[in-house]
Amino acid sequence: MRRHPARRSARRPVDPASITAHAVVLETDARTLAECAERLRGITERLEAGGVAPRWLRQAVNAHLAACATAAADLATAAAHLRHYAAGVRPAPH
Amino acid sequence: MIRGAAVHATAAITDAALLQALPHAPSAGRRTLRALLRAITDRRGLGWAPAGGRPASLAAALGAFAGAESLAVRVLATSLRLRIAAVALDHPELTGDPMLNRLVEAAAADRDLEAVRALRALLRDRGAVRVLSQLAPVFGEVLALRALLDENPLNDATAWLIATGTGYATADPVTGMSNRAVAVLDRGEGAARRVEPAEAESARLATKGSLLGFLGNISVIGTTGRVLIQSVEGPDGVVRHVVQAPGMRTGRPDHDSPQDLLGAFSSAVLAASPYSRALAKAVADYGLPEGAELALIGHSAGGAAVMNLAQDPAFCARHTVTHAIAVGAPVDFKRPADPGTWVASVTNQHDIVPTLDGQGAGGCFDLHPDWYVVDYSDATHLFPLCHSIDRYLANIAADLPEARDHIDGRLAPYRGPVVRSQVYRLFDHPPEPEGFPFLTVPTHAVPGPGGRVELPIRCQDGGALTAYFAADPAVAAALLEGTGLGPAVRVAGRAVVAVHAAWNRRTSVGVHRELHVGIVVPGPWRARGPLGWYDLVRGADRRRSGLFLAGSVVDTAVVAALAPRLWGGEPSLLPLEFGLATGVAHITAGASGAGEWLLVLGGRLGPGLPVSERDLVGYARAAGTTLRSCVRARGRALLHPAPRLRLTVAPGSPHPLAHLLRDLGLDGARPLLCVSATARRTLRDAAVPVPTT
Repeated sequence: MRRHPARRSARRPVDPASITAHAVVLETDARTLAECAERLRGITERLEAGGVAPRWLRQAVNAHLAACATAAADLATAAAHLRHYAAGVRPAPH
Repeated sequence: MIRGAAVHATAAITDAALLQALPHAPSAGRRTLRALLRAITDRRGLGWAPAGGRPASLAAALGAFAGAESLAVRVLATSLRLRIAAVALDHPELTGDPMLNRLVEAAAADRDLEAVRALRALLRDRGAVRVLSQLAPVFGEVLALRALLDENPLNDATAWLIATGTGYATADPVTGMSNRAVAVLDRGEGAARRVEPAEAESARLATKGSLLGFLGNISVIGTTGRVLIQSVEGPDGVVRHVVQAPGMRTGRPDHDSPQDLLGAFSSAVLAASPYSRALAKAVADYGLPEGAELALIGHSAGGAAVMNLAQDPAFCARHTVTHAIAVGAPVDFKRPADPGTWVASVTNQHDIVPTLDGQGAGGCFDLHPDWYVVDYSDATHLFPLCHSIDRYLANIAADLPEARDHIDGRLAPYRGPVVRSQVYRLFDHPPEPEGFPFLTVPTHAVPGPGGRVELPIRCQDGGALTAYFAADPAVAAALLEGTGLGPAVRVAGRAVVAVHAAWNRRTSVGVHRELHVGIVVPGPWRARGPLGWYDLVRGADRRRSGLFLAGSVVDTAVVAALAPRLWGGEPSLLPLEFGLATGVAHITAGASGAGEWLLVLGGRLGPGLPVSERDLVGYARAAGTTLRSCVRARGRALLHPAPRLRLTVAPGSPHPLAHLLRDLGLDGARPLLCVSATARRTLRDAAVPVPTT
């Protein structure tokens, strides 16, 4: 069923600020994940230097580091898309 | 942090604002949603990571069923494996043992089948007790690891709590069954009743306050459903008080005491439990002055319960809880209401009980920087031995002198002579008065030989044997002549005579035994027709028939003095022995050892049919009137239709009862049938005169 032209044009107003807020949070998370990866790397190196790291630790941590990097990139990409999306959305009338 | 990122990305993709804005920028919107979806599902990134909110939790659960994991779970699993490895450095037996190592590795690698096989092999080789003991230092971690990696979404929250140290395990890490669901079965407002310890126990209670003394007291009281409160006079002359709470009672998981398995569980995982409420009732009954200083010391479930008491703001408003000391108890997530309360926790790393809240030796969080925590390991790895209060006592006495001295130092205000001790028995619910409702009756006082005596006599616990004999009808008729009680009840032309013996073990007039010989009579206004026999088994309140009491023996002066009032007779005061065990009875009247015995009724009772214990109705003649007396009885009895007892009267005994029994032809007789009750309660009031003519 085709919608009435008048109703089709009456789009509900949205607040791009709420979309931007998500972008800000995800950008922070992307940075945090990168920092998290660094902390993980540091802990592993300290354990290895102390000679108490289990054999399996390096392989597991490498996998986590790679995943953190990918996750950070995914989040940064999503945040960029969110910002672009927010810019394309008409602000709600005040 | 990783989980937080997943929560934020999930919140963005599920935000209605994004969908509402889609018509404004459809192309950018679709790209944004795709990017967000990728962020929370990318196997090489966050993994399957929808999180936060119910729809996301459902999606996460479905993913878990399908075996999908998130990066957060993988990192947490690595953390747990690392914690196990760290504990293994202090406990080389964990990795040095190939079988244990196989289990830990299988759990860490999410190889369920392998884990089950490894566990079976361990159980077969070592037995459950040793396996639990050996795994104890990493028990929480192994369970959390398995819970994180299995396909069951119900236990994931518990795994997170254990692994992150943010709260006690809210569910069974294996099944995911909520601890609260189990704990809610342990209901009760709690109650405490004063009890006296046995003499041997009293003698072993510490007479001076000290850590070892208090823990020794807990050992003396034992896991018997009781607690101890003591008052000690400190070096400064101030009297302070110490609550000493033992652990869980063994046996049924749920009984009338809060010190049961359910109580232990609820004390560990809930902020208040029947155990802590019962403890509060005991303290209230003990009668402490307002603001009195109090130290709480508990072992196992008792440790969790005293910590619950310490974190009760209302309790701490009434009393000043200065110390809370938990030994072998799961108390990691307890928080005293009064910041001034000094807390000490002593745990053996091979003791599983303290890890019930999910935090064990592998915990890497300093949950209580202000507590004095002693987490040690000794050579005894065997659970439950390493959990016993005696083992802790021995460890603290011999192996942990520094910890003992430190705690004793903090307990200095309590290190003085004990000036008062009171033991309490704890209950989930206030217990019914003993004998309620049967023995809850109005009483009245009558004069007795040593002062006033309350009637009716209430017997909480007793036993009885009634043996029915066939006796000489002529002698019986002669005895009944003029009583108005009718001719004796007969069987095959013989008069029925009963010998009734009872041992009243716990009564309102003290322990006593009694023996009566009575002729079974239909009574005045006797029931006629078919109701005549039926009347013999009716309750005393509706029975006309009874025993015409021809002779009685009692073994206490009090009952002998009360006898004229109770049933109207003048009994002989003689020693009585009453033995009634399974299938065998042995009743002796008179001093059997001194050769002055009067009668013996003994032998095998034979098979018995379960029946209710019957009331006893007695008639007696006194001062020209007939008195009717009742013994109302409750309990289970056995009807023995073919008893092998024999009644033997002492040859040549001049006692009137011996003459009577001989005249009735009962010397050497076997009863027709017997009714025995090994446990019964009875009520006996004064006899009442009844007109019979």
